[in-house]
Amino acid sequence: MNRGLVLLLSFLLLASCKEKGILFDSLEADETGLAFENTITETDDLNIIDYLYFYNGGGVAVGDINNDDLPDVFLSGNQVSNKLYLNKGNFQFKDITDQAGVSGSSTWNTGAVMGDVNGDGLLDIYVCAVVGILGFDGHNELFINNGDGTFTERSAEYGLDHDSYSSNAAFLDYDLDGDLDIYLLNHAVHTQESFGKAELRFKRNYETGDKLLRNDGDHFTDVSEEAGIFGGVNSYGLGLAVSDFNQDGWPDLYVGNDFHEDDYYYLNNQDGTFSEQMRDYFGHTSRFSMGNDVADINHDGWPDLISLDMLPEDEKVLKASEGDDNFQILKLRTEQYGYHFQYTRNMLFLNQPGYDYAETAPLSGVAATDWSWSALFADFDQDTEQDLFISNGIAKRPNDLDYIKFVSNEQIQKKMESTRLMDKEALELMPSGKVPNYIFKGMGDITFSDESERWMKQDSLISGASALADFDGDGDMDIITQNLNSTPIIYKNKTNEKANYLQLAFTYTDKNRFGIGTKVFLYHNGKQQYKELYTVRGFQASSEPVLHFGLGTAPKVDSLKIIWPNGTYQTLSNVDANQKLIVEMQKTQPFDYASLLPPNNNLFEKVENNLYLDFVHKEDSYIDFHREKLMPYLVSDRGPATVMGDFNGDGKKDIFFGGSKFEQAQLYLQSDTSFVASPVASFENNKITEDVVAAMGDFNNDAKDDIFVGTGGGDFSNQAPALLDLLYTQTDSTLTKTVLPEIFENTSVIAPYDYDSDGDLDVFVGNQSVTGNFGAVPESYFLKNEAGTFQIDPVNPATTLGMVTDAIWVDLNGDQSKDLVVIGEWMAPIFFLNENGTLTQKKMTFGDLHGLWQAITAFDMDGDGDNDLLLGNWGDNSKFSASDKAPMRMYVNDFDKNGQTEPIVCTQKNGAYYPLEDFDELASQMVFLKKKFPDHKSFAGKSIEKIFEKAVLEESQLLEVHNLRSGYLRNDGESFEFVPFNNTLQVAPILSFCTFDFDNDGQEEVVAAGNYFGVKPYHGRLDSFSGTLIKNESNMIPGHLLGLDLGQKSVRHMNVFEHQGATYLLVTFNNEKVQVYLIKKPQ
Amino acid sequence: MRKMMMRFGSFTALCLAVLSSCSEPPQPISISPDDFHNSVDQVTEVMIHDIFSPPVASRIYAYPNVAAYEILASQSEEFNSLAGQVRDFKGIPTTSDLQVNHELAALIAHMDVSKRLIFSEDRIESYQDSLYGVWSKANEAEFEASKKYGLEVAEHIAAWLDGDNYKQTRTMPKFTVQTDDPSRWQPTPPAYMDGIEPHWNKIRPFLLDSASQFKPLPPPPYSMDKGSDFYKELEEVYAVSQEITKNGDDSEEIQIAQFWDCNPYVSVTRGHLMFATKKITPGAHWIGISKIASRKADYDVMNTVYTYTHTSMAIADAFISCWDEKYRSNLVRPETLINEHMDDSWQPILQTPPFPEYVSGHSVVSGAASEVLTGIFGDNFSFNDNTEVPYGLPIRNFKSFRLAAEEAAVSRLYGGIHYRAAIDNGLDQGKALGQHFLNTLEMRNN
Repeated sequence: MNRGLVLLLSFLLLASCKEKGILFDSLEADETGLAFENTITETDDLNIIDYLYFYNGGGVAVGDINNDDLPDVFLSGNQVSNKLYLNKGNFQFKDITDQAGVSGSSTWNTGAVMGDVNGDGLLDIYVCAVVGILGFDGHNELFINNGDGTFTERSAEYGLDHDSYSSNAAFLDYDLDGDLDIYLLNHAVHTQESFGKAELRFKRNYETGDKLLRNDGDHFTDVSEEAGIFGGVNSYGLGLAVSDFNQDGWPDLYVGNDFHEDDYYYLNNQDGTFSEQMRDYFGHTSRFSMGNDVADINHDGWPDLISLDMLPEDEKVLKASEGDDNFQILKLRTEQYGYHFQYTRNMLFLNQPGYDYAETAPLSGVAATDWSWSALFADFDQDTEQDLFISNGIAKRPNDLDYIKFVSNEQIQKKMESTRLMDKEALELMPSGKVPNYIFKGMGDITFSDESERWMKQDSLISGASALADFDGDGDMDIITQNLNSTPIIYKNKTNEKANYLQLAFTYTDKNRFGIGTKVFLYHNGKQQYKELYTVRGFQASSEPVLHFGLGTAPKVDSLKIIWPNGTYQTLSNVDANQKLIVEMQKTQPFDYASLLPPNNNLFEKVENNLYLDFVHKEDSYIDFHREKLMPYLVSDRGPATVMGDFNGDGKKDIFFGGSKFEQAQLYLQSDTSFVASPVASFENNKITEDVVAAMGDFNNDAKDDIFVGTGGGDFSNQAPALLDLLYTQTDSTLTKTVLPEIFENTSVIAPYDYDSDGDLDVFVGNQSVTGNFGAVPESYFLKNEAGTFQIDPVNPATTLGMVTDAIWVDLNGDQSKDLVVIGEWMAPIFFLNENGTLTQKKMTFGDLHGLWQAITAFDMDGDGDNDLLLGNWGDNSKFSASDKAPMRMYVNDFDKNGQTEPIVCTQKNGAYYPLEDFDELASQMVFLKKKFPDHKSFAGKSIEKIFEKAVLEESQLLEVHNLRSGYLRNDGESFEFVPFNNTLQVAPILSFCTFDFDNDGQEEVVAAGNYFGVKPYHGRLDSFSGTLIKNESNMIPGHLLGLDLGQKSVRHMNVFEHQGATYLLVTFNNEKVQVYLIKKPQ
Repeated sequence: MRKMMMRFGSFTALCLAVLSSCSEPPQPISISPDDFHNSVDQVTEVMIHDIFSPPVASRIYAYPNVAAYEILASQSEEFNSLAGQVRDFKGIPTTSDLQVNHELAALIAHMDVSKRLIFSEDRIESYQDSLYGVWSKANEAEFEASKKYGLEVAEHIAAWLDGDNYKQTRTMPKFTVQTDDPSRWQPTPPAYMDGIEPHWNKIRPFLLDSASQFKPLPPPPYSMDKGSDFYKELEEVYAVSQEITKNGDDSEEIQIAQFWDCNPYVSVTRGHLMFATKKITPGAHWIGISKIASRKADYDVMNTVYTYTHTSMAIADAFISCWDEKYRSNLVRPETLINEHMDDSWQPILQTPPFPEYVSGHSVVSGAASEVLTGIFGDNFSFNDNTEVPYGLPIRNFKSFRLAAEEAAVSRLYGGIHYRAAIDNGLDQGKALGQHFLNTLEMRNN
């Protein structure tokens, strides 16, 4: 082909990719007339060092101010005047600022929102301002719409002329008196030099504290104090969402706070007050919380929530930026200073009706979108799933590590010393953070697919406030972003008639004409969609007051249920698609909010007095990361052991709980009415051990239950006696220690079975790790029982299977003798066939199932009469990622040749492997890296092959994980096939299974439970699994719908037992008090 | 000032080079004491850039000096090798190459060992390269022979220093904060950094038989009872801080506190913006005083290097001794307790450094260095201390090393980061250690 033609073609191709996305066109100022530019001027007196939110940008409010059915645009400027643009149709806008009189008079404007403040049916404009620092003058301004294209500033009259550090405001009718009240979001400017105690939030401060302003007709009254709104010096309020989160008919609030202050979750008490209940409903939150948004993304009719943070996706930025706290600082902040768990990444919270939120951002694929400001959910492609737009970018990256460590000193020091200011020259040296905005397609399975490169033009802007509107009236949702030092962009949605939609607007009451707070349940093709109308969304912005639903190919909606703010509802049926429907109140009836709650079919009921089981497991303070800094997770927190048996010969099941290091094990004897702790002398003598697992059995053939305890803890090493497992045999009326073969290992599983069929119980002892040498594989053992004495089986010698965590004896080949399946971390399930007491590994053909396996049980999932194998794995909701194409790798080697190995875990990104740990963490172990990479820039973006020599990597021990998903091995007779569970079971590690006929239907079910906290802060806490009752392949019920309370706690064991004629479930947690549930046995 | 010196040195060398080109036989390369001062200053600058903690910095100063000293001492009647005197050191290889200029070889060895110990090699390399260029032009044969020998000695010293357990301590356990015991140290604002170098007592000392050889008295037992000695010391820190803050930034005490801050990494946070102001370490300050004294006494190359070597080894051992106690007593900093019990918004005048309180590193190091310097130069040796001028601080005049040490010690009370016991007992500990160096080492015969 002609070379010129190729060039021309590639140019055209390039050009077309650049200017247009598949779904959106980017319209710039020259096309739209939106010439407003939020120019930020750095001076010696005013810059990022003087004002921490110097780059947060202005606001954008969208709404139809002149009732011509075309949404108009108001843009607030930080240092420049505000602008109001009239929508002339076809994306043409006309500047009417001067005529309207809305240019504003405050020095520094922030958020801008539209709402009908005076109840005249016209949208007014409320503009927030930062006032009282750095010579910033003015106050929040309220521009009342006169209905003739002019506005009058009347904030003082309405009591809304606050002169504090406001960032945004939201309209809501919190007291359901019919008019719109305002929540005013303020931000702190606390110097951040120290955390300060969390209690600071209780001490109200005018400038920084958020305010609840009650609409009393002609003015607004500050009712913050009496309503229970925090107003401390510590609240860096940037995110604000209003929603009836708990579906009781009263609006609630989520406030995102930057830095170490917790986010606030205010539930409406229905009496004019709120209760802040963050800790009860959220296991963890974003740390540098910015904007947020609410939508029902999983069609369950309950609002879900995203809260943005600033974690970069790009390795080059990620590894050059200050990241999460280390394990110890987080511990200090939570335990000493009283803050909740916060991590530096976006958080996606799935509302679990009647329970807490499951956080799934890593699993959902929306955890890292760099310096993110605004999130907006909408069904942009109208396929019935909520998509997600995220605006981002920062003028200068002040958390650049090289800047902090190497550049800032020389540049800033001289300036600081003379003037306490930072000059522009120094600012220039900070790297720029212009990052393309993100857009994600909702996939319908709580995951999102990143379509940023396809759906829209890749920008190089700093986009902040953003809003949704149908600017051209074609039915689909367009986006407008306010950009720092640049003009706004309108993303014109081109879905048009490719898919169907329905828009709803409301004519509610005089005081709330637009029907803020109205909810809609929409049904089509058996699918439910739910939305509620709150216009203040994203960040410092308000969107058009309409509800938009994508309908895919459905030509009409089967029915619509509209619930008005006053608690009444009406239903519309057979509504045609592709129209904007204005709904008025008609033939309404009272709505029963209780009907939204999941039906009460609790199988489990927490026992008030716990049957007097007051065992609280207390984990010891040893932290593996302090010894082996690069370990990917702890092994020291896998206890406690729990086992039940009749340990005093009275016919009733008693309970043994293992102790952590230096904590004594406990025996609880079952009496007629309760459980009673009973001291055992031999336990006291062995309190030094960490009892990780235990098994019950009659090990000495005296017809009494004995206890075999596997000890470990990852701390004791070499020939430490505390590593020796313990056998307590029942003699007379007590338990005494019996000698075992000397095996100094970190035990993870004790699996008794008479595999040689000689009439006594033999034991498989699985071991997990070698203390101080993570990645090394310990030997696991078969202990042969000879008349009550165990010996290492000469027929089945010790073997290095992997980092074993669990094992099960189960008959796999129908020969009536049980075979053994062993699982563990960085290994695939291993099958041993039992042939007359000889255990032979059998090669399986189910593909590469190297995982971080945690638990195994046998269960007939498919009802075909044979045993399938349920397998608990790590899940998909952490920074770990693995697949056959891109397995996770761990290189183990003594990289710095100092006699101590280092494990380096890498995951694949865009075809290359990168270590999960950051440079400082790696270099703290391997100092030579500091010589190789003199700064973070030179390290950031380097794959593992560029960090270490090829030869060094080749000689390293390489461990892999191909699959992190929990699931089951379906027994197909001759072979097994792995079937992963669906996403709701992948939100955390599954650590325990318990099989029983819980629902009394004559069929057994399995309860799966887990959660795990022994990870570094960059993962977050893996706390979002509330357990699941697995009935069969296709029927799985979340634990919180059955009365279980397993979220935010890390389950280790579940045991079913009988007591006084009733059946109970005992749940043992790590570092937590045990729970006892009555199993209600429905008839 | 420093730059001018360097230029002057280069200029001399350049003249030599020009001279040598006129077909005259090449002249011997001349090395001045300032060449050594410059090389030490170079190390200081790189260390500030690379951010070495005070104990690690002390190690980086000492070994290059020993390398240079050994080469020079091998040619001197007046000075003895450290072989057999400091731990595991068996001396350096000698050379029979008559072309070797030992002063030049010593300087080359100094630079080379320094380069091995710091991170940003390119900074030392470019300095080294410019000097190499000048020297090779001036007298290539002499330069090459000296370089060969200097690097051979550097290699030898490197093998010796490699056995000091530094590498092994990198992977030893991180310090675990025990929050349930209020007397124990915990991370402090604003950066809440981990306790640094918890295993520094496992580093091989130069002279001490063990890290605990000069173990100080224990601190007053922790007690929040109003009448207890400990509480009184805590109250003193708070009271002193309130008093001198009232007097303003120009007060003598605040001047003293800031002069002796010597914190290699003071982190500043403004919202998302973070930056650091970086200064020399306390050890580096005393290395600076060694330079000032050597210059004032008009010391030649041999005596200059001797001063650096003796002082820097004492400082290095002082850090080992001090750190041994820090993680033994593991005492909480005043900032933590004052914020908890007295004043939740109180901030010390200086930023609290990230390691346990007892004893004060400034006390131990200043005590040790001042004794050694007094032994070398005599008591009542007055000097103008301009060490901190590059960091924006004024010159202070001292009548003696010991008085300077006392001021350095008490500066930490003014700074609000140490109790009285850590200051006084630390000074005693350092002085005893310094005396031990003077009494034990036989370096200079006089």
